[in-house]
Parts: sequence; structure tokens; C-alpha cells
Amino acid sequence: MPVTYKSQRIAYPYFVVALCLFALQIVAGIWLAISYAFTLPQGLVEALPFSTMRAFHTNLLVLWMLLGFMGGTYFMVPEESKSEIFSTKLAWFQLILLTATGVAALVGFLFGWTKGRPLLEIPFPLNMLIVLGALVFLFNIGMTLLKARNWTMIQGTLLSGLVLLALLYLFGVPFYKNLSIDWYYWWWVIHLWVEGAWELITSAIMAWVLMRITGVERKTVEKWLYVEIGLFMFTGLAGTGHHYYWIGAPDYWLAVGGIFSALEPFPILLMVWDTFQHTKHSKSGVTNKVVWTLVIACSIMHLIGAGVFGFIHTLPQVNYYTHGSQVTVSHGHLAFYGAYALLNLTIFYYAFPRLHGVERFRTNLGHLGFWITLISMSVMGLAFGVAGVIQSYVERVFGLGFMTAQAQMQLWFKVVIVAGLCFAVGLGIIIYDLLSMGRRARAESGAVLTQSKGAAAV
Amino acid sequence: MTTRTAQWIFAVGTLSSAIVLGVLTVDTNRQMATLTNADKLTDEVVAGKVVFQKYNCNDCHTILGFGGYYAPDLTRVYRTKGEAYIRKAVTEPEKVFATSFRHMPNQRVKPDEVDKLVAFFGWVNNINNHDWPPQDSKQKGLTGTSRLLASSGISMSEGAALFKENNCFSCHSLGGTGGSSALALDNVGSKLSAEQIAKQIADPRSVNQAAIMPAFMNFLSAPQINSIADFLSKQKGGK
Ligand code: HEC
Ligand code: HEC
Ligand code: HEM
Ligand code: HEM
Ligand SMILES: [Fe+2]
Repeated sequence: MPVTYKSQRIAYPYFVVALCLFALQIVAGIWLAISYAFTLPQGLVEALPFSTMRAFHTNLLVLWMLLGFMGGTYFMVPEESKSEIFSTKLAWFQLILLTATGVAALVGFLFGWTKGRPLLEIPFPLNMLIVLGALVFLFNIGMTLLKARNWTMIQGTLLSGLVLLALLYLFGVPFYKNLSIDWYYWWWVIHLWVEGAWELITSAIMAWVLMRITGVERKTVEKWLYVEIGLFMFTGLAGTGHHYYWIGAPDYWLAVGGIFSALEPFPILLMVWDTFQHTKHSKSGVTNKVVWTLVIACSIMHLIGAGVFGFIHTLPQVNYYTHGSQVTVSHGHLAFYGAYALLNLTIFYYAFPRLHGVERFRTNLGHLGFWITLISMSVMGLAFGVAGVIQSYVERVFGLGFMTAQAQMQLWFKVVIVAGLCFAVGLGIIIYDLLSMGRRARAESGAVLTQSKGAAAV
Repeated sequence: MTTRTAQWIFAVGTLSSAIVLGVLTVDTNRQMATLTNADKLTDEVVAGKVVFQKYNCNDCHTILGFGGYYAPDLTRVYRTKGEAYIRKAVTEPEKVFATSFRHMPNQRVKPDEVDKLVAFFGWVNNINNHDWPPQDSKQKGLTGTSRLLASSGISMSEGAALFKENNCFSCHSLGGTGGSSALALDNVGSKLSAEQIAKQIADPRSVNQAAIMPAFMNFLSAPQINSIADFLSKQKGGK
């Protein structure tokens, strides 16, 4: 089945840019791991400092995922609202604006133009361009929905997630004089994004894809969606407190943060249950097996990476020793990969065949690429985790100092490098598969749908 | 469950949690003024924060436990390492960390910027944050030592225990354990007498005007300093 609305094609360039940035992110990540595992000469440390490459790695991550979500929204909204996108020109403008801003930010980092706040390094003038891009996006989607007058719950959830995401970004913009207050609001961006706004987006997209591929009734999907997002908000909003234990905030955050965040795995668990429930009741056979695999993997890895690995260190008694160690890195990777990288891949594998206008495509490469990334990311997460436990003991429990602990962890950083290289191979396969599936399918069977010739020109 | 119930769960869940976060945010902003000593937040300290951000120190180092995990946490660096050492680490990292297996770049931080950084770290040091990080906590340092003793089964002299508790390991090494930003002490006993060592620990600047080691006379009593000196004066074997 090709795209139903012409304007859905605007998703394609978004996805392509996202995939390129994803690939770059991995290159930067491997450089970070090398800086950990080997002694680099002073000259190299000064030419390509860890700090700059970390800003690359994390900003690329956020940028490609946001472009993926936006492309996904442009793909989904026409079918949900049964109308074309308000303006594809605006969508192009927005894509170019955001990509150019992102590239400018990266080049700026190389020359030391940075706000110097982890994950939010992008300087003020570029912040404004990003806000402009977000406004154009929300305007475009808002106008589409207004004109279509076809309101659905799934769209509502998606849109509120996107609006919340944009609003929260504003808390990261100002300069805060007080370091503790600075971190207080830093988490309104980081935590309330990944454990709030992005969860809304995820729930909406997962619900939609599930409905599409399984043919489960909209009413059932929407009912569970309400419960899920209600629980996400309930646990996630006050759960922000699990980042306020050691910043010089009042005592009550130890209790509030601990209790609410300890409940955070529940909505994720519900989502897994829900997914399995829906897939069991699937009416039609699912044709796109890769999407099928990804949906299930995403829900399970979301639960492991965010739910389980988040829960492990969320109580203050544990967090006192693991805070800001490689345990955090382990959780960060497994959660981001499990919840949001796999979600994006789900969107890509759902949309690409249709954007290419192919009915059927060979699934072997997609599966292969997915399994390689899954296994290597799991190994990487575990390696970071072991390093983190060593660090927590040697540095924090025994109090032997930072570098003494790091010396004991070197082996595990080497494992991270190997896993990272494997991940890169898996991602390479996925990118190749996605970009060329149309051409290959046509070459094989000639089964092209006439309508979609335009999109096939890749 | 009906859709209506589901909608209620959504509304009540979201609203209640938002109210908790909102109310506590207002109160936290109020209380943080005392918990962080906001009255001591001078222009110099704020300028130091600007410098800290300008050089993106935070993407290698954590502070309050946030940031890059590549380099030591800087929350208590002012107390545990001292001003002179901070200055030297920032301006000549290629020398201070020359023999370490991980290097810090020399970012050509200007002298007046270093002053501001020091003021900033001085202010951060006093943030009342439930005694995190544990490795720099005096109280937790003691429990750390007893844990270490229990786990290794070695009996340690009082001097050795104090050496460990007072962060000496984070700059010096003994038997290959510890930092490399200051000289290894395996052989110090054949170089210096116990009295000389005690003097060095109490006030390094009385030995050498340009010393960068922090003075411990305000943190340790004379008997404590003597027992560390006694322990170190027996270190004559090393490499
Ligand atoms: C590219 C990463 C990087 C950047 C950027 C960086 N540092 Fe460092 N820094 C390190 C490493 C690595 C060490 C520890 C080296 C060792 O002990 O072997 C270190 C050590 C230090 C120490 C000594 C800490 C201790 O406990 O012994 C201080 C103080 C310090 N850095 C301050 C700064 C300041 C201030 C900035 C910003 C102007 C900065 N650093 C930027 C990597 C970095
Ligand atoms: C911030 C890093 C740092 C810390 C912490 C530190 N030192 Fe030092 N220490 C130095 C440096 C650097 C020197 C070399 C002289 C100088 O420049 O101050 C030194 C010199 C010494 C010397 C003289 C060695 C010689 O051969 O001349 C002794 C003894 C010593 N330190 C003992 C200790 C003890 C005991 C502790 C813990 C109570 C300690 N140091 C903590 C940095 C440190
Ligand atoms: C998909 C959802 C999630 C993502 C993408 C995610 C990602 C991250 C990242 C990247 C960090 C590190 C931030 C930094 O300091 O630089 C972090 C920290 C943390 N996360 Fe999550 N997380 C998710 C869900 C959760 C959940 C559900 C929990 C708890 C049950 C949790 C608990 C924590 C804790 C306690 C920390 C602080 C670690 C520390 O003290 O250093 N996370 N998370
Ligand atoms: C595959 C190769 C990868 C390697 C070798 C790698 C390595 C690293 C390293 C060494 C860090 C620095 C941690 C620190 O501050 O000390 C880091 C940070 C980070 N990486 Fe990766 N990474 C890879 C892929 C990914 C992927 C696929 C994702 C997301 C899906 C990701 C998300 C993150 C995040 C969120 C951080 C910030 C961590 C935090 O603050 O806790 N990385 N990575
Ligand atoms: Fe969080």
C-alpha cells in the first residue's frame, strides 16, 4: 500500500536527514569510547576534546530523534485527519532551517562556540532558530488539524506531546546565576522530555502503528492510551524529583522523587501488556514483519532500559553511590535506544516501504540490522553497567578516588568500543536497507505501484 | 473499564502530579536561597560560572554529579584539592597530568578567568546537598576505610587509614594505587624524616613557597598529622 496522501511524502527527506545524523552520532560515540579506553596524546586531546565530541554525540542524538518524530508526525497526521498537510513548503522550510541550525551548532562547537551546559550546549541565537522551527512545525500541524476538523484522541496526544516538548525547551534557554537552580530547570528539559513529553509522543505513535498493523479497534486502543498517558504524567511529573537529591534542594525531594519515580516503570509495563494484547487480537495477518518485530522489541527494550535500569538506581539510598557514574551512562544508552531509537526505527520501517511505493520487500536485511544493533547495544549497556558498578564501589564506597577507579574500568571501555563498532555495522545495514528497498524490490519483481513513481526516485 | 473512567484516570493523574511539582517548585526556589548560600553569590562567583560554561568544562567533568563522566567531579574540589592545585590543573594540565593515563586539554584559560573559576568552586563547595559525593565526604570517608579494611582483611595502621581518608590518594600514589598528579610516595621515607613529612602535610607552603599541595593543618589535629607522617616515614621500599 503506497502513501494515501501526497503530502505524506514530505516525511521522506526528514527521515533521510535523521538517518545521516544518526550515523554521525555513532561515529562521535565511538570516539568518546576510544578517549576512555586509551591514553591519547596531549595534542589529540586538545584537537578533538572529549567535551566537544560529547556535545556532538548528544546533540546529534536529540536532533535526529526530533526530526524522526517530526517526519513521523507529517506521515501520520494526514491519515489520521484525512486531509493533506497544510503546507508542504513550510515543512520543507522547517526541515532546512532545523538542519542548517544543527549543522551550524556542530561547527560552532568545534570552534568553542557553546553554552557549555551538558546536552543543552547550543548557544542562544541558535536556540531562537530552533524555537522558530518548532513554531513553524506546530503551526503547520495545527493548521492541518484545524482545517481537517477531524479530531482524534491519538492526534490529540501526539500534539500535546509536541507542544509540551516545545514549551519545556524554553526552560533550557536562559542563563541561571545559581548552579543549583540551573540544574533544577535543566531537568525540566531533560527529564520532562524523556519521561514526559516524549512518552506522550511514543504512546501516540505506538498506538497508531498498532492500530494500523493489527486492525484492533480504535476505541480499545484509545481507552488504554488514556490510562497510559495518565500514569506517565502522574509518575513522571513529580518523578522529576529523582534528580533533585544532591543539588542542594530541600529534603522532601528524597521522598517525593523516590516514590513517584519508583512508580515510573508501571506505565511502561502497561504499554508492553497493551502491545501484546493488541498483537494477539490481530485480525489481519501482518505483512510488514520488520515493523512487527520492532514494535515488540521497542516495548520490551523500553521496559528494560528505562523501567528496569532506571528503577535500579532511582532510590536515593542507591543513587547516592551511583549518581553521575557509568551506571547512569548504562541506563542512558539502554533507555534511549530501547524507547526512542527503536521507536524511530519502527516509524521508518512502517513508512519507508510505502514512501517507496513497494507492496512487499525482503525483510532479511532489516531483521539482520535490527538484531545486530540490539545485541551490540545490549552488550554495550552491560559493559557500561559493569564499569559503573566497579566505579561506585572503588570510587564511592571505598573512597579511593576517581582515577584509581577508572584504572579498574579500562577493560570494559574496550568492550564498549567493540560493541560500538558492531552497532555501526548494524546501523549501516539498516540505512542501506531503508534507502534502497524500493529499487531492490522493483528490480526483483517489477511490482511497482504506478502512483508512487515520484517517491521511488531515490 | 470504560473510556470515561480512562479519561478520569488521565485527568486526575496529570493534574495531581502537576500540582505537586508546581507547589514544590515554588517552595524549593525559596529554600534554595539558604541551602546554596545565594547571598554569597557574588559577581565574581557568577563570572566564574560563565567561565566554567565558556570552556565547556562540564562536558568532561561532572559538578553536583551532572555532566560528562570522563573526569573527576568538581563539587568539592575547592576543599579536597585546594586553590593552588586548581590553578595549576587548569593552567598547566599537560604538566600536572603528564604521567596520567588520561589527559586534560590546556584550554589557555586567562589568569583573571582562573580567579573567577576559583571563586565559583569556592561557592559550590558550600552547597548543602546531603553530603554528596561520598568519596569527598568526611563522614563517609571513615566508613569507606572500615569497609575497605573489612573487605581486604588487611590490618591498617592509623596513619595509613588517615592517609586514605584525607584524599592523599587522589594526588599521590602508593604501591601503584592512587593519582598521578603528584609524586608517588613509595620512597618518601628514605628522603624525608617524619618531622619533615609532618611539616609538609601541615603547611606545604612553609616548606616551599610555591607548593601546590593543600595545607591540612585546619583539617587534621597534630597527633593525626604525626601518625600519617610516621606511616609515611616507613615507606622506603618503593619504585
Ligand atoms: C577534555 C576533557 C576535559 C576538559 C574540557 C576539562 N577537563 Fe579538567 N580534567 C580532565 C581530566 C581527564 C582530568 C583528570 C586527569 C587525571 O587525574 O589524570 C582533569 C582534572 C581536572 C582537575 C583536577 C581534579 C582533581 O580532582 O584532581 C581540575 C580542578 C580540573 N580538571 C578543572 C577543569 C576546568 C576548570 C575545566 C574548564 C576550564 C576543565 N577542567 C576542562 C579533563 C578535562
Ligand atoms: C591536590 C593534590 C594533593 C593532595 C590532596 C595531597 N598532596 Fe601531598 N603533594 C602534592 C604536591 C603537588 C606535592 C609536591 C610539592 C608541592 O608542589 O606542593 C606534594 C608533596 C607531598 C610530600 C612531600 C614529598 C616529597 O618527596 O617531597 C608529602 C610527604 C605529601 N605530599 C604527603 C601528602 C599527604 C599525607 C596528603 C594527605 C593528607 C597529601 N600529600 C595530599 C599534592 C597533593
Ligand atoms: C525512555 C525513558 C528514559 C530515558 C530516555 C532516560 C534517559 C536518561 C539519561 C540520558 C540520563 C542521564 C542524564 C544525565 O545526567 O546526563 C538519565 C538519568 C536518570 N534516569 Fe532515566 N531515562 C528514562 C526513564 C527513566 C525511568 C523510568 C527511571 C526510573 C524509574 C529513570 C531513572 C533515572 C535516574 C535515577 C537518573 C539519574 C542518574 C544519576 O543520578 O546520575 N529514567 N536517564
Ligand atoms: C554505538 C556506539 C556508541 C558509543 C561507543 C557510545 C559511547 C558513549 C560515551 C562514551 C558517552 C559518554 C558518557 C560520558 O559522559 O562519560 C556517551 C554518551 C551518551 N550516549 Fe552514547 N554511544 C553510542 C551510541 C549511542 C546511541 C545509539 C545512543 C542513543 C540511542 C546514545 C546515547 C547517549 C546519551 C544519551 C549519552 C549521554 C549520557 C549521559 O549523560 O548519561 N549513544 N555515549
Ligand atoms: Fe528522570
